[in-house]
Amino acid sequence: MRRRDLLAGIGSAGVLVGGGAVAAFGIPSPSNSTNGENDSDDSSGIVGKRREPLEIETVDAPGSEAGTVRVPASDQPTFIDFFATWCAPCEKQMDALVEAHQRVGDEVRFLSVTSESISDSELAAWWDEHDGDWTIGLDPTAELTSLYWGTPYPSAVSIDASGRVRWAETGVKSADELVAGIERAFGDGDTADGDE
Amino acid sequence: MDRRTYLGTVGIAGLTSVAGCLGGVLSGENTGESNTTLGSPEMNRGDPSYPIHGEEFPSFSLRDPLAEETVSLEDIVGERPFVITYFYSSCPDGMCQQLLQHLHRIQEDAIESDYADELGLLAMTFDPDRDTAEPLRTYGTQMGIDVDAGHWHFLRPSDNETAKTLLEETFGLPLRRDDETSDGSANESTNESANESSDTGGEYTFTHSALVQLVNDRGIVERAYPKASNQRDGVNTQVMVEDVRTVVGVNE
Repeated sequence: MRRRDLLAGIGSAGVLVGGGAVAAFGIPSPSNSTNGENDSDDSSGIVGKRREPLEIETVDAPGSEAGTVRVPASDQPTFIDFFATWCAPCEKQMDALVEAHQRVGDEVRFLSVTSESISDSELAAWWDEHDGDWTIGLDPTAELTSLYWGTPYPSAVSIDASGRVRWAETGVKSADELVAGIERAFGDGDTADGDE
Repeated sequence: MDRRTYLGTVGIAGLTSVAGCLGGVLSGENTGESNTTLGSPEMNRGDPSYPIHGEEFPSFSLRDPLAEETVSLEDIVGERPFVITYFYSSCPDGMCQQLLQHLHRIQEDAIESDYADELGLLAMTFDPDRDTAEPLRTYGTQMGIDVDAGHWHFLRPSDNETAKTLLEETFGLPLRRDDETSDGSANESTNESANESSDTGGEYTFTHSALVQLVNDRGIVERAYPKASNQRDGVNTQVMVEDVRTVVGVNE
């Protein structure tokens, strides 16, 4: 439901969006939501959807090994932070991600994914500087990013072990919000959660 | 033409409901000669100021500052379909980023599926005073776009006044410039991100539409995607990619 509130909040700007303050980058206030001007095709968000698994490349960086990873993981929940190194709010969110990773990183395939054009060494340097300590995935063709509506940055999704998206949110989030979102994916898929 | 129309209907059936297509046909909207490959959109969005499905795209002639050439509608019509969006690179909130991300993914799909030469990708800045060649190159590259690809064109009007007139009068999209006030907020909103930008005194932002349009090789709009910065079931990158593939004719 959070996601839908968020979408409604953005949608309520009407045809005109943007302005300095409307905030895909910040956190639109759900209290400003009005459904009146919303497109009626906002029938649902990404939550509840399943996508075909994709194999993406991973980068040699602190906490991350060069190789490939399957998204979503087949045997455990998956969390994806979609980010870019040039995105200031993404930098700001790194502390919260570090804490979330420390708290629940053992129970989930924890990933940060970027579709920007950047060398592995630049990416690794940025990662080190911002205390990243988990797997970085590359999505140069933006295929994964498109599948999970991973923009604008930062956006986060959690996917349960069966491959179903359980939570998605755009904007800077606190560690508590991230952990709560990730934990949404810990269920067995039978738990009613109001996202249908 | 008939074949493409037929295929278009098939393609649409996969994206939306069959009932939506039949509804259009039965109510007479789609009878007779069709200028489009895609059927009428399932959603009726009223009568916006910009051209939508079945309407002619307005004539334009604009400079591509990276390729250092002029791009006009007349150059493209008869050659290939195109996708166009309108943005500015100082966009502080991720909206424009999202618009270009749609085009990035379309570009990648076109390259992967070998139809890059059969499609134009256009992104017009309405802030040419700041969006000169190098900032545009940087912005596009950050988004992962191959800005030197032959099908990619940033379009840059000569100055901001011209851009506003063009956007509003030719393309039918309202634009409002918001100069930051002394407390750093660009308008009445006082959320966190606005406050944080208070150290960028003298900057300005725009309140603008987040529109992507897909136009066929006859210069007719196949699909307009309003509020495209906000992904949802009806408007998202994958829908655009599928529509582009249908219009280009790579889905058969």
